[in-house]
Formats: sequence, C-alpha cells, structure tokens
Amino acid sequence: MLIRHLSLLNLLFFLLAGCASSERMERLYAQRCLGCHGPSGKGDGPVAVSLPVPVPDFRETVQRRSVSQIRKIITQGKGLMPAYGPALGGAEIQDMVRMVRVVSQQDRPLEWWERIEPLVWAHCSVPWEVVLGYDQSSEEEKP
Amino acid sequence: MIQRSFRQFGLFLLASALVPGTQKQAMSHDPPSVGKEAVRRQVRLPVEDFSLTDQAGRSFRFQGLRGRVVLVTFMYTTCPDVCPLLTANMRLVQENLRPSERPAVFFLSITTDPEVDTPSVLKSYGERYKADFSNWFFVTGDQKSLERVWKIFGIKVERKARGLVDHTSLTGLIDKNGIMRLVYYGAAPDPKRILQDVRKLLSHP
Repeated sequence: MLIRHLSLLNLLFFLLAGCASSERMERLYAQRCLGCHGPSGKGDGPVAVSLPVPVPDFRETVQRRSVSQIRKIITQGKGLMPAYGPALGGAEIQDMVRMVRVVSQQDRPLEWWERIEPLVWAHCSVPWEVVLGYDQSSEEEKP
Repeated sequence: MIQRSFRQFGLFLLASALVPGTQKQAMSHDPPSVGKEAVRRQVRLPVEDFSLTDQAGRSFRFQGLRGRVVLVTFMYTTCPDVCPLLTANMRLVQENLRPSERPAVFFLSITTDPEVDTPSVLKSYGERYKADFSNWFFVTGDQKSLERVWKIFGIKVERKARGLVDHTSLTGLIDKNGIMRLVYYGAAPDPKRILQDVRKLLSHP
C-alpha cells in the first residue's frame, strides 16, 4: 500500500516537473525565437517579413545538426540572430535547444504559443513620450 | 498519514488552478510596431555631451563627433524583435554611403542593457552585422551613465528579465553642430529616407 502511494506520488512529481519544464521551454521560445522563426520554425514569424534577409526554415537543419551544434548557434548567434550566451544560463540554453527540436517535429499543433502570456512584443510596447520638445513643431521644415 | 498528504496535495493543485495569475490566457499576438513604417519627425534638440565606452573598451565622448552628422539608435544585443531591424537599417545606410561621404558621417548604437552588453559582447554583435567600426561605435557604460544618456534622448527603458528589455524604439539624426534634427520612431525607419536626410544635412548644415 505504502509503495503504491509512493509510486503514485513519484509519478505526479515527474508529471508536474515535466509540465513546468515544458512551459518554461515554450515561454523561452515565445520570448526569444518566435518573432523571427514563427511557431513552427518555418521562419515565418511576424518580425521576419521586416528583416533585410530571409529567416531560414530551421526544421530540417535541426534534424541534421547535433545538440552541441544547435547549442553553439543559440549561444553565439548567427547572422542577425542574437547570441543568447551572455544573457541566459546553461539550463535555459538547454531548454531552448530542446524546444527547437520539439518545434521541428512535423504536424505539431501551432496553437501552443497562444496559451502563453509572453513578453514577445514587450519591446514594442513603450510609447514614445512627448519629451524634451520633440513635439514642438509638427510642420515640416527644411533640415 | 500518506492519505492526508495526498488530500493536502490535491487541495494545493486545486488552489493553484483557481489562482487567477496562474491561468494562461489567450491573447493577441499582433506586434504593435514591427513592420509598420516609422514616424519621422523634425526636431531641434541640442544633445548634451556624454561619455561612454565603445566596443573596443575605449573611452568614447560624444563631443568628439562635432563636425560630423551622427545617426544614433538604441538597442541591446539579445533583443529578439525591434533591434535587429534598427541595426540592419543602420548597416544599410552605412553600406550605401559614398566613399566621399563616409568620413563626415558617424553611426552610434547605444545599449539599453548594460548588464549583458559588455564591450566584447557589443563587438561580436557589430561583427555579426558586418558593421564597419571605422565610423560606427557600439557603446555601453555603467547604469548611471547610461540612464543619463537615455534621458537626454528621451528613451524609456524597462528591464523585464535578464537579456529582455523594453525600450523606446528611436533612431535620431544629429547635425554637425550636435543638434538632433530628425527622429524616426518605430522599428523600421526607411534606410533610403534616412540616407536622403543624411545627405541633406551634409549639404545644407
């Protein structure tokens, strides 16, 4: 009886730990990757269209590359992609590597990221304040 | 004893599910400014002198740029949305300057995240964008010095998490006398339009 209860408790613990890890992975991806790579890794995130270079579809690349190669790209950046090494810890980088692999799986439902309360667009949310006389003259004048 | 623990654990799970903050909510993911054309506005704002540190670890003084037209923007290296667009646009402007114009124009990228953006991190960032460091500095400093600089330019900065910072998206064009003449607010100022404005300031200071 005691062993059965302990096993059940163990199972619950692992399920909860797994859920927390999954949520952490999803949040990291939503905050740092989704803008360019999109919810399925195709490179079709909302920021991608404004970039001067196309964002590659990473799904096939991820299948071909080793974990350490993916980790290196996330840590050191590539092209316009930020280097997350200076900002994130080893566990977070590892979560990103795992999430990139999960996202690359075909036929995955794309609604997952809508469940997350993200900081995805936090960067754009600060209004431009009318300060220091910026707004003094609305009339065009020759510079 | 164990049964009681289970009941307590069940109650904890139920309580967690009912706490409003723990429930995830569907929300709009429309980026408010990415992709939209930047607002361009004429201003006349003398820029106070300030000192920071460039990507090579050298001391940088804004006053030293007098006599050159300066394009300034605010960014941080781990920014996942707006800053790559701002920096890529600066790169396009730098790339399209005529050789005769280059010595008279300077580019300045000022970090909004000094916690992460050390000179060496900024140097790697600039290299990834193939920035020509001969007339483009990426500058950082201590929090207090940067706060003063952000205030000079009217930049609001809010740290959300390590390597995740919310800040005003602003690119400014400063004339040879250190007076800011144009601001472009938004993620995607048109590099062709900026280049035109730079040339106007070069020819009609």
